Amino acid sequence: MPSFDVPEVDFTRYSNRQLAGVPLAVLALALLVLAAWYVLNGTPVSLGLEFTGGTELTIHATSAQAASQDAVRQAFSTPASAVRSIPSRPDTYVATFSSGADASALQSQARSAGYEVVSTTSTSATFGAQSQRFALLGLLGSFVGMAIIVFVLFRTAVPSGAVVLSAFGDIAIPVALMNVFGIELSLGTVAALLMLIGYSVDSDILLTNHVLRRSGSFYESVDRAMKTGVTMTVTSLVAMAVMAVVAYAFGIELLTSIGLVLVFGLATDLMNTYMLNLSLLRWYKFEGVSR
Amino acid sequence: MVDIRSNWRVVLLVVLVVGSLGALFVPGAGPVVGSAPADNATAGGGPTNLQYGLQLSGGTRVRAPVVGLTAENVTLPSDASERSTIATTIADDLDNVSSADVRLRLADSNTSADTVEVFANVTPTQFRGALDAAGLDADSATVRQGVTAATRDEIVETLSNKVNSLGFSGAQVSVQSTVGGDAHYVVVEVPNADLSEVRDLVNSRGQVAVLAYHPVNASAQTNDTVLTNDDIRRVSDARMQEGTFGSVPVVPITLTEEGGASFAEAMQRYGYTSSAGISNCQYPNGTPGDEYCLITTRDSEVVGTYGMGETLASSIERGDFQTTNSFVLQTNSMSEARQIAIDLRAGALPASLDIESGDVYQIDASLAERFKPLSFLTGLIAALAVSLVVYLRYGRAKIAVPMLVTALSEVVILLGFSSLAGLSLNLSHIAGFIAVIGTGVDDLVIIADEVTTEAVSSDRVFQSRFRKAFWIIGGAAATTIVAMSPLAVLSLGDLRGFAIVTILGVLVGVLLTRPAYGDILRYLLTDDN
Repeated sequence: MPSFDVPEVDFTRYSNRQLAGVPLAVLALALLVLAAWYVLNGTPVSLGLEFTGGTELTIHATSAQAASQDAVRQAFSTPASAVRSIPSRPDTYVATFSSGADASALQSQARSAGYEVVSTTSTSATFGAQSQRFALLGLLGSFVGMAIIVFVLFRTAVPSGAVVLSAFGDIAIPVALMNVFGIELSLGTVAALLMLIGYSVDSDILLTNHVLRRSGSFYESVDRAMKTGVTMTVTSLVAMAVMAVVAYAFGIELLTSIGLVLVFGLATDLMNTYMLNLSLLRWYKFEGVSR
Repeated sequence: MVDIRSNWRVVLLVVLVVGSLGALFVPGAGPVVGSAPADNATAGGGPTNLQYGLQLSGGTRVRAPVVGLTAENVTLPSDASERSTIATTIADDLDNVSSADVRLRLADSNTSADTVEVFANVTPTQFRGALDAAGLDADSATVRQGVTAATRDEIVETLSNKVNSLGFSGAQVSVQSTVGGDAHYVVVEVPNADLSEVRDLVNSRGQVAVLAYHPVNASAQTNDTVLTNDDIRRVSDARMQEGTFGSVPVVPITLTEEGGASFAEAMQRYGYTSSAGISNCQYPNGTPGDEYCLITTRDSEVVGTYGMGETLASSIERGDFQTTNSFVLQTNSMSEARQIAIDLRAGALPASLDIESGDVYQIDASLAERFKPLSFLTGLIAALAVSLVVYLRYGRAKIAVPMLVTALSEVVILLGFSSLAGLSLNLSHIAGFIAVIGTGVDDLVIIADEVTTEAVSSDRVFQSRFRKAFWIIGGAAATTIVAMSPLAVLSLGDLRGFAIVTILGVLVGVLLTRPAYGDILRYLLTDDN
């Protein structure tokens, strides 16, 4: 019977600089990706249809000659901005049109070309712009709210700041990874990012609490916090990875993207908590307090 | 012996789980909140009492702002006829605007000042000009996009009446406002309907009118509106009626007293009841100057033309008509007659919706029905994966089994709650349930680790360790709730459902299930048991 044990790491072998260096370098790289994306595309992340406006038709080809991306393009008088097939559903295509296209007209064009219209999503540009503003407000509001709670919980600047910094990395790195993997920012992924804000600080709170509030040496506290914290994060990570894989197989795109973003974020959280947050805490405990 | 008093949380948990299962599976224990009928198409056929949203049952949702401008801070005369003159002047000053598109409202308990609304695509500058022309103080008025709350309520009521009379079951019409209230959207959700059907429904105003097309002099004709929706008191079903020219589709109606009187007066004044007026209609072919037609229109489109019948003419002349007030609207086809009956019953939509500035979601029922079991299955598989990790980590059934049972009971309670509250489940809710399993297990791991670091010697040691664990759980729960709360407030599509489920799940977890897990562990682990 295999078993899952949290390994004990000998942190004394690494300096604070070494420990914090890796996550900080990854964070810097992530910010670089976001900045480059912003310069190239005007937004730090690729925005999905819900934010840019536009129309998306999911159609199912009823005949063999209709079952190709070219045939899909030819079915519409308005040129599609993108056509892709859904791997888990045979003969099913998603055609995307820029905003301004008439959803009803596109539907009837698809039907007369021999396609079944499976689903239609259409968002106006103004509606999309508004959703963008709300999504940004939501992310900012929830991050600031989380930071306030953390400061209230620990009431000391360095440990609280360490938690907030590592939570910032937990958001920024997955967003950069979304760009790399071609996942667009949609309402589903915004929800996943918000969830990450809540989820990812759990292990940081646990670690900081054990180090600051429990008896025992620094390394004993860290070991105990890691045992619990890594179990927690790995459990969530497995749940989300399984959800992403299963939802992909079933063709439920919303659950796939939520799952993937959370997998990115939780993996990042493992690194940030036990390298970045831990080294900042150790510096605070051994050098910061005595100053 | 288990002491009930110290284990009340476990007892409460069991009671809630049993209650939730009852709410889920006992037929007829459906929603106590909300008006969705138990026999609606989305709820039927499933083994549970859960309600499903469009994503999991199929249908169309249209969300759109109302077309129109509102001028606030105007002062209107208290006299009704003066107000109607103002409305006419405003309408005349604007292109393609009829007086039915202008609405003057006096201040009431909900509003501070009088308002003027125009339900058409005009610019604020044009609207100000029209206000000026009508002698209102356009400079002090504030003109904004959108309509008043009273108009939105009217739209929601009329649209609800329409979807119901068209036989769509489980349809919902509501208003969604953004935080701060600077934008409002009317949301129309119709299960098992296609986009074009819903579009037609919200695009057509359903303004029915009868026009008198009569001579002004020997060689010219004119149109005068003699009946509108407001003049009609009762509407019978559309049917075929035998007449002089064979069978025609009709809608028998009863006019209001004032409507009947003004109609009779107009007919006499225009000469319809004279021998020249009776049955003298060849529209659109007849000679101008000798045509007496009645024209039924729907949203300014002609749907029926007919002449004055001899019976009606003599009834008006005798004064009998003015007591019965019954009239028969004729149309060219039976489908138009049915449509008119629906429009008259539901009332005219005061303004139309601007679908181009909103959003549309449509999903085929067959795909949505496929998503339903698959998304639940996804959740189940994710829960199984969690179970496996927990078992591998602890290897002790005493800790792992209650952990999973507790985490799953949270989901059962949430599902029971959803079913009772009549919440329409969508994919985002399912994602929320999976998130609840994730956070739930996290907290249970904290409790288990905290309590089992060393052998638990007594109840008191257990309690102190449990309290320490709870400090972390409380902190973590607070951050999750704070992180999710913007979504519960902002109108960001379906995400509100996800946020609400997650927040509720965390609350149920922190207040109930996680302490109960502590009680179970104490019972299983402390030495004095």
